[in-house]
Amino acid sequence: MKDNTSNIWIGGKDLIKDPEFIEISQKEFAEPNLLENLGNQEVAEKLGGNRRDFLKFLGFGLGAATVAAGCDIPVKRAIPYVVKPDTIVPGVASYYSSTYVSGGDSVPVLVKTREGRPIKIEGNNLSPMTGGGTSARAQASVLSLYDTARFTMPQMQSDGIFEGISWDKVDETVKAALANANGIRIVSNTILSPTAHAAIKEFTAKYSNAKVVTYDPVSSGAILDANEQSFGDRVIPEYRFDNADVIVSFDADFLGTWISPVEYAAQWVKGRQIKDITNPKMSRHIQVESGMSLTGSNADNRIFAKPSEMGAAIAYLANKIVGGVSVPSLNDEAKASLDKVAAELQAAQGKSLVVSGSNNVSEQILINAINSSLGNIGKTVNFANASLQRQGSEVELNELVKDINGGNVDVLIFNGCNPVYEYANGSALATALGKVKTKVSFSQTNDETTNLCDIVAPTHHTLESWGDVEAKRGQLSIIQPTIKNLFTTRQYEESLLLWAESANLNSDSDQPYFDYLKNNWKNTAFATQSTYSTFDAFWDSVLQDGVFKVDSGANNAPGFTGNASSAAAGVRKPANTEIEINFYESVSMGNGQYANNPWLMEMPDPINRTSWGNYLAVPVNFDGVRAFDGFNGLEDGDLVNITIAGKSLTVPVIQQFGQMPGTVSLALGYGRNFGIKGDAVGVNVNDVLTVDGNGNTNYYNTDVQVGSKAGKEEYFSCVQYHHTFGVTAEEEGTGEIINADEAATVFFDYFTGVKGFQGSLTERSIIYNSTVADLKENVKDLKKRRDHAQHLNEQQIYRGYDENYEMGHHWGMNVDLNSCIGCGACTVACMSENNVAVVGKREVSRHHEMTWLRIDRYYYGDAKNPNVVYQPMMCQHCDNAPCENVCPVNATNHSSEGLNQMTYNRCIGTRYCANNCPYKVRRFNWLDYTTADLFPANQVKIADEDLPFGADNLTRMVLNPDVTVRARGVIEKCSFCVQRLQTGKLTAKVEGRRLQDRDVSSACMTACPTGAITFGDLNNKKGDLVKKNNSPLSYLVLEEVNVRPSVTYTMKVNNRDKSFDA
Amino acid sequence: MKRNYIMIYKHLNLTKILTLLLVFVSFSISAQITPEAGKKVFKNYCGTCHSKNMVADATGPALYGSQERWGDDEALYSWIRNSSALIATGYPRAVELKSEWKTVMTAFPSLTDDEIGSVLLYIDLVGKGEYPPKTKLTPGDVPVEEESSNTWLYILLLGVLGLLAIILTRIINNLNVLAAAKEGKEIQQKTLIQSLTSKGIVSFLIFALVVLAGYTTVTNATNLGRQQGYQPDQPIKFSHETHAGIHKIECQYCHDGARRSKHSVIPAANTCMNCHRAIKVGTEYGTAELTKIYASIGYDPTSNTYLENYDAMSEEEIKDVYTKWIEAQYLEKTELVELDADGKSEVNAQWKGIKNSLTNEQKKKIQGPIEWIRIHNLPDHVYFNHAQHVTVGEVECQDCHGTIEKMEVVQQHSPLSMGWCINCHRQTGVKFNDNEYYKSYSKYHEDLKSGAKDKVTVADIGGLECQKCHY
Repeated sequence: MKDNTSNIWIGGKDLIKDPEFIEISQKEFAEPNLLENLGNQEVAEKLGGNRRDFLKFLGFGLGAATVAAGCDIPVKRAIPYVVKPDTIVPGVASYYSSTYVSGGDSVPVLVKTREGRPIKIEGNNLSPMTGGGTSARAQASVLSLYDTARFTMPQMQSDGIFEGISWDKVDETVKAALANANGIRIVSNTILSPTAHAAIKEFTAKYSNAKVVTYDPVSSGAILDANEQSFGDRVIPEYRFDNADVIVSFDADFLGTWISPVEYAAQWVKGRQIKDITNPKMSRHIQVESGMSLTGSNADNRIFAKPSEMGAAIAYLANKIVGGVSVPSLNDEAKASLDKVAAELQAAQGKSLVVSGSNNVSEQILINAINSSLGNIGKTVNFANASLQRQGSEVELNELVKDINGGNVDVLIFNGCNPVYEYANGSALATALGKVKTKVSFSQTNDETTNLCDIVAPTHHTLESWGDVEAKRGQLSIIQPTIKNLFTTRQYEESLLLWAESANLNSDSDQPYFDYLKNNWKNTAFATQSTYSTFDAFWDSVLQDGVFKVDSGANNAPGFTGNASSAAAGVRKPANTEIEINFYESVSMGNGQYANNPWLMEMPDPINRTSWGNYLAVPVNFDGVRAFDGFNGLEDGDLVNITIAGKSLTVPVIQQFGQMPGTVSLALGYGRNFGIKGDAVGVNVNDVLTVDGNGNTNYYNTDVQVGSKAGKEEYFSCVQYHHTFGVTAEEEGTGEIINADEAATVFFDYFTGVKGFQGSLTERSIIYNSTVADLKENVKDLKKRRDHAQHLNEQQIYRGYDENYEMGHHWGMNVDLNSCIGCGACTVACMSENNVAVVGKREVSRHHEMTWLRIDRYYYGDAKNPNVVYQPMMCQHCDNAPCENVCPVNATNHSSEGLNQMTYNRCIGTRYCANNCPYKVRRFNWLDYTTADLFPANQVKIADEDLPFGADNLTRMVLNPDVTVRARGVIEKCSFCVQRLQTGKLTAKVEGRRLQDRDVSSACMTACPTGAITFGDLNNKKGDLVKKNNSPLSYLVLEEVNVRPSVTYTMKVNNRDKSFDA
Repeated sequence: MKRNYIMIYKHLNLTKILTLLLVFVSFSISAQITPEAGKKVFKNYCGTCHSKNMVADATGPALYGSQERWGDDEALYSWIRNSSALIATGYPRAVELKSEWKTVMTAFPSLTDDEIGSVLLYIDLVGKGEYPPKTKLTPGDVPVEEESSNTWLYILLLGVLGLLAIILTRIINNLNVLAAAKEGKEIQQKTLIQSLTSKGIVSFLIFALVVLAGYTTVTNATNLGRQQGYQPDQPIKFSHETHAGIHKIECQYCHDGARRSKHSVIPAANTCMNCHRAIKVGTEYGTAELTKIYASIGYDPTSNTYLENYDAMSEEEIKDVYTKWIEAQYLEKTELVELDADGKSEVNAQWKGIKNSLTNEQKKKIQGPIEWIRIHNLPDHVYFNHAQHVTVGEVECQDCHGTIEKMEVVQQHSPLSMGWCINCHRQTGVKFNDNEYYKSYSKYHEDLKSGAKDKVTVADIGGLECQKCHY
């Protein structure tokens, strides 16, 4: 490597110029597995075809076509409503404000419905918490509504067989059990709903021996305990990342998964904007961790600390800032770096923030001591609007198991949670369940816990429910149903109230729980406000806005009453084992709650870019010159046997830059035993989690052995190297295949004096990056490069294209790489909006994923501990598009509004366009992924499903009716959400006014929690888009090839302190 | 026009002429009383409640013969203008009508004597089946436009040319033989058969066949899936002519999606009920068709109420409700006390019709939506938006759907092919100056001002581009 600090690479194979990778990158469509597969008898059988079959199908096809041509057109029916609801106009979308809730995760959203079907989730920009951002999980939640695995009615289990029963039977059985119960427990994840709390209160009042056990799938119990001890307030405080100049995070993935990532990302990004080029300022973000997390990848500096050293690292910093704290042993590099961090923090008193994802109470007390000592309480750590998103602790589950084993629990009610899978002692709980007389589950689908229950009383999906959410103190949002319950389900709150025989629930009413909810709001929120005099007016406004704010009245800055010195004794002790394993929550899967959601399964992990399974991230040993090897000689896609605390697992491997040497990482939440799509996808590691002395779960293990290569994964589904296309050529004279870009360097150097920046694909003008310190210089450099590229582009005989867009619209997009954190909300939003097919693990491994929008991950800087830049890459809608010229049937062409149009019904599938696309954003329907084709599907099944995913009528309800479902054999790609553009234009036309920025937005733009994507009309010179494009940081990807893209990117700037690297 | 009058009067019988004379005399205005004017008045005022065939009862009684029944034109005229006033005077016929029908006819004080005269004439003629006139044109009267077809001419021409070709072939053949003889060679003269099966002719024929087959294949393939003129029978014999034509109900009253949605929307049964709560017996089909609406939505026309818990009712229960209604109407119409054999078969037939119309293989229950046959089927993968055309483009419904208001049974007027769409987009001007939205097309506005363009077509602003309709 020439200069590690300015170079960019996409992964190991690119870094070492792996010959196999280079060879693949020369091909039009990389197919590393295809030849293997064809020789593989098993796969060939799965494909179910041979030459004779082909001829049969050909003959049948011709015959069928002839018959079809001769037949009459089938009679289609037009079925109107009997009584049309006033609010529905068929063909026009209605939006309802609601809230996405899953346990303690919540995002206020707007639900787009068409003809009464929810089809898309958008952010609610009235929310003071998220400001309109969403997460990938929120975006995908609409799909789980149409999950084919949902219970269609209440069930009763005997001897492992579920049998549908009536609700009356459920009520009768449960009430009888409750009446005679010795002890009753409701086990739940965090409940955010104040009205649900009221309902549970009625239940516990009726049954005085009932108690609620709350835990969270990934625990934050230690923070709650620590805050109770330090501040006397058992909550997660409201963190204000936007008010902090220096942010230090010890293993807290606050941009990806930790507590309230959508809210934190929106705050964090505010401090990351370069407002003034001449005097650039940016917050500093230091992450202490072992594995590369989404947050760590976005940090300026990362400090390595093994999982077992994390306590020492926190204690070390606490000692520097608070003093009087004893420090266990810690690696020297971390010490040196933390010294610098301490100095930075002290210089930013009251404008800094230290957080930790640790589940150790003592460590969290130290964190509180640090923040308190820095004067951050009440400024960046606030309690007035404290977060309520984590209220549980697995300590309560420990108690529960004890209680059951003591014979004190007769009835257990599981509120949609899955502790048998999620809880570290899940197997102990499962065994204990045998002693409970009646076990009831509210779960919507079968899972590890529900499978052990006697009665299933399935609750509604959130999109079918009434409800409310108080995610932060005083910040309420509403849940309103957007569809009538699809199945014979009942809201769990209603079930509890019925069983409690509540006098406040009118069960004869049309929607009993709705009345109960309204009544509760009348007595609580309505009473606190004075804007509306009648409740109906108030309620209408709440339904309209979806959010409502009341003053919580809590003390914003309670004093720190903890003791740092004594807490130091309780921090985790460094282990001296050779290797440690870190367990983390992945951005898409949580702790397995979303394993049944194919959109999230197929969404690549932002960091290691793998899908459909969890991969063991192993560190990379880089020799500093040209070669590196993975830990134990392991390469991407190798299978390896690991033994964690005596449990043997076989997992596939991914080499991970930025993984601390001596550590490996593995995601939680995979290897679920229930749920169609989660079957046999990944491995479960929840059962090797350990608990510390306080009963809190340790999300790491020091007792781990990693073997060497034990085979190759059959379908290695990492998308990082897909769709890369290097330029190689035969060298004159020698006939050797060389990298053409490298050869071109000489030419470039001669004229411009520019060095480096060539090589294979990544060394072209794809990513520009800078540190804040070098920004001025790099902006100058960028301008020089852009001027040069533009100069070259002018040396041509063809006239320019700009005059074509002097009137009407010219659509364009701006992607701010500095704001993009890589969370993937946009990719799921895109799948949802545009009916993008899910293809499954095998197809992903064959480079056949259909995503229109991918987020490329590039490493840059120090190869040992690199920074990461995420680049959302979609069709660039080039004004001089190379794809358009090569299409033999003109199926892709240009519109007068600057769109690169793809016409599916014209496409004959030559794939010339995909070959010619320099951005590799065109996707080909190799197989009949949607069964939209006339003839049967040829897709290999993902799991044991009857139909390919998305081909059943229930799942098809999620499709956007305005977008074509593509059939086999056609190319597709990003359309800039043309259906939304057309709708926006029509709205303006109908209203007889000019188009405004707010009329048009792409799905990715509305999904983004950080506002990284701006869509608009380039002809609107006063619009946001033009303003952003005019930034001196903006550039066009591959500008030198003169394709004139319509998407502008802005330079990635970080605030790295290079002195940490030494 | 003038000829028409003559035609009509030709068919008048003596009493008619006498009646007319009476009218002429009474009001001394003759030129203004015409059945055409009467038809107009009937449509505007009377048609809502009275049957247009004049012999059936509807909301109001059948009108044919009313003049004879009243026998007093002066009273009849004042009855038509303001029936309540006449009832108040205690005029016997008026009081009788009121007690019989229990409703009061709407007052039309603005009607002139001419108009009333015209409408009475119209009623009489229609009742007798003499209007509209069944015109028999004599050949000499009107120049007959021959259905001119050139096919025969072409065939004739082809024949002549073929004959010519054969003759020429023979001549060339003969000349060849002569030329050869002159040179001393001897060649055999080709027979006609030999000439016709020569290589040249055969290859020409094959070539022609291939071209013809290709042309036919392409034309037929292009037409696959197109169904211009498609006119299926609908579950309810709903007449657009009656509703949109005669009663002039605004299209968008029922198709309320057209102005704001991509779909024009087939009206829900509750939209029908807005009018048909009052109009319960059709002029054309009596109870046969309208009862289908009631059976779909669960409305009991006998008691004028919606049936409670209709969705849970069994077919037998539903049958009871509606056959009772049909029976009652039949008895009222025929003035019978008990159902006769005809009546029984009539009731049965009507019930069968209801059941057939409201059920099919997928839909087993009578209750629920009326499943119309969809006539306008766009090709797959096309996005079409009614609001864009109706509200923004101000295109008339008839431009694409034809004279719907004259269709007793709707048929597809336009081919709905891409070529048809494109053609219209090429020719149609955009409402460029009226809509603020188009302000951003500054250059076109200049062109319009300077006269360089006389209109901006849809194509000019990108109306031919793929992703305007395909996405």
